Amino acid sequence: MIISSALVFGLLISALILVAAGVSASDLFNEFVLYTLFDGQSLRAVLFQAAPLIVLGLAGALAFRARFWNLGLEGQMIWGAIAATAVSLFEIGPPSLRLVLMFIAAIIGGLMWALVPVLLKLHLKVNEIISTLMLNYIAVNFLLFLLYGSWKDPRDSFPYSPQFKSFERLPNIFDGVNLAIPIALVIALLVLWFTRISRAGLYLRFVDSSPGVAAAVGVPVQRVILLTVLFSGALAGLAGFMVSAGQEERLTHSFYLGYGFSGILIAFLARNQPIAATVVAVLVATLFVGGRSLQVYYQIPFSMVQLIQAILVICVASSDFFIRYRIRRIQSEA
Amino acid sequence: MKTVMKTFAAGMLGVYALVNVTQPTYADDEGLTIQGPPKIAMLYISPRNDGGWTQAFDEARQKLEVQLGQKIQFVENVPESASAIRPVVERLIQRGSNIIIGTAFGYSDTFKDLAAKYPHVAFLNGSGTTNSKNLLSFYGRTYESQYLCGMAAGAVSKTGKLGFVAANPFGQVNWTINAYELGAQQINPKATVTVIYTGAWNDPIKERAATMALIDQGADVIGQHVDSPTPQIVAQERGVYGTGYHRDMREFAPKATVCSSVWVWDRFLAVELKKIMAGHWKPLPQGALLSMQQGGTDIACCSSAVPPADVTKIMAMRTELMEGKKQIYEGPMSDGKGVVQIPVGAVLPDDKLWKMEWFVKGVITQQ
Repeated sequence: MIISSALVFGLLISALILVAAGVSASDLFNEFVLYTLFDGQSLRAVLFQAAPLIVLGLAGALAFRARFWNLGLEGQMIWGAIAATAVSLFEIGPPSLRLVLMFIAAIIGGLMWALVPVLLKLHLKVNEIISTLMLNYIAVNFLLFLLYGSWKDPRDSFPYSPQFKSFERLPNIFDGVNLAIPIALVIALLVLWFTRISRAGLYLRFVDSSPGVAAAVGVPVQRVILLTVLFSGALAGLAGFMVSAGQEERLTHSFYLGYGFSGILIAFLARNQPIAATVVAVLVATLFVGGRSLQVYYQIPFSMVQLIQAILVICVASSDFFIRYRIRRIQSEA
Repeated sequence: MKTVMKTFAAGMLGVYALVNVTQPTYADDEGLTIQGPPKIAMLYISPRNDGGWTQAFDEARQKLEVQLGQKIQFVENVPESASAIRPVVERLIQRGSNIIIGTAFGYSDTFKDLAAKYPHVAFLNGSGTTNSKNLLSFYGRTYESQYLCGMAAGAVSKTGKLGFVAANPFGQVNWTINAYELGAQQINPKATVTVIYTGAWNDPIKERAATMALIDQGADVIGQHVDSPTPQIVAQERGVYGTGYHRDMREFAPKATVCSSVWVWDRFLAVELKKIMAGHWKPLPQGALLSMQQGGTDIACCSSAVPPADVTKIMAMRTELMEGKKQIYEGPMSDGKGVVQIPVGAVLPDDKLWKMEWFVKGVITQQ
């Protein structure tokens, strides 16, 4: 409740800034609400953009619940896409199963890249904020090494992988919207089950509140953290699959840009709640799509959209105060 | 008689094939006529004042607005991902734009999809790779202007050791490196070019480190094929010379920069946009790889550091290129290992240009 009022408050401030920048209030309503959510084409663009964001938001939320600051979503996403592309490139499995194999490969790719920092943390107490962040750079450079090296498209020697064949792409469910959105919703339900219903989720709540007490009452803290972080990495890998097989239709050198940190942002705004993360991801996608059009028609720079994101984060972060404390007016006794 | 006929037929077939190769068009095609009054929009990959690639496009846009007498809309910072490009282009089209100009390699696939979806909209894409009946990708034969910059570099170098800061090792970068060396050899036959690839198009930190390393190794002129002006700025700090890329980099390093390879997109786009507006536009199926003559690149040359006799040579060569009389990649040409890459009398075809992975004698790379 407090968080949603913080979000609304943040949106209000953002709207005021945009009005000050020269967009009238009615234009603002038109651009973000009418043209973005009630226009078929734009709504499809929002859903197209939202699917990987939902999955990344969930990935962030999971890891943060285990008190593991996974800043490596981008790296895990890249490995997911690399693994999926490898399946396509080396033509592993029959065409009818290819997409499923790519899906599985992406999950394994992301999971393996998350395995490194979580093992380092559990066994050697290496700070995961540093290790996950640094592993992103290794993943990016390995991606570029592949694309400028042996994986470049032999047709024109340009630095992207050969285009996926039609059976290696996520099929459309209707024009402009592919299977990514239903997959993202299923994943959201899966995460909801994991955190609310499963035994691991119960343990996870203990770990989240106090790892020390959890260990004292017999919760397998290390195993819970390991499992949760691997789940997070797997989801980030899956997002890599969604973008490469669902949007770019090949492995490109820049497909991951900005996604990792959007995932962290979404998880934070949603307070690590799976349903909230799904809603916030759609909101962020709306902001992206609507923000582009502000740029097109009002010459509002895209950094304004980033500013709005920052305002929302600050509002939610400061709402913490209202969650923990209650303000009472103290009347001096006369 | 029969063999004669056969030879004749084969010969005819050869001629036919040749005609088809040199003048390809899409079969049974009337060409594209856009619907409604022409309305142009541009998508920039970076901010319009990035000092390089995008700013060159924005300067062209301002000239085109004057020449065509209409406003040209632009959208900055459109990243190279389908989920960002699509909504921008679709909303532009929804509100009347029917000529869309992109500025990034990473827009290629999405533009191809959009061109199929909107067959009555004209698409152009700078540094793109895809083409269709209503989509034309274009790029410049940057090796021509970099050849001239190599000449200027050879003219001001005392050591004959030139350094070159390059982005990524593939065709369109490698061809500028070879041309730079070939140009330098025109003035100083013993000149060498030492190359460092930074692995990024725009990474000022790595560019600075690479430039310092080259100067420490004795290079006294720094050429570049990266997006930021950092190599020129470092050259000025260290008191050596340099040659710029994208735009006239005397703006950033007035003492160091002796010559710059600059984009002159307005020269090409003005002609092409008028063709589109006239109707029945037929984009080339293989894309447009523009020579200096066709309005790809030119040079901003030369600073006073270049001796007047060499300036005359450089400008004479520029005139030859402008008139289409000079080919840079013309046989005989061998790589550094002595392997013949272009036979006598031949000109390197475009598909081999894009795949250039060999270097002429005098180029020193990390590989």
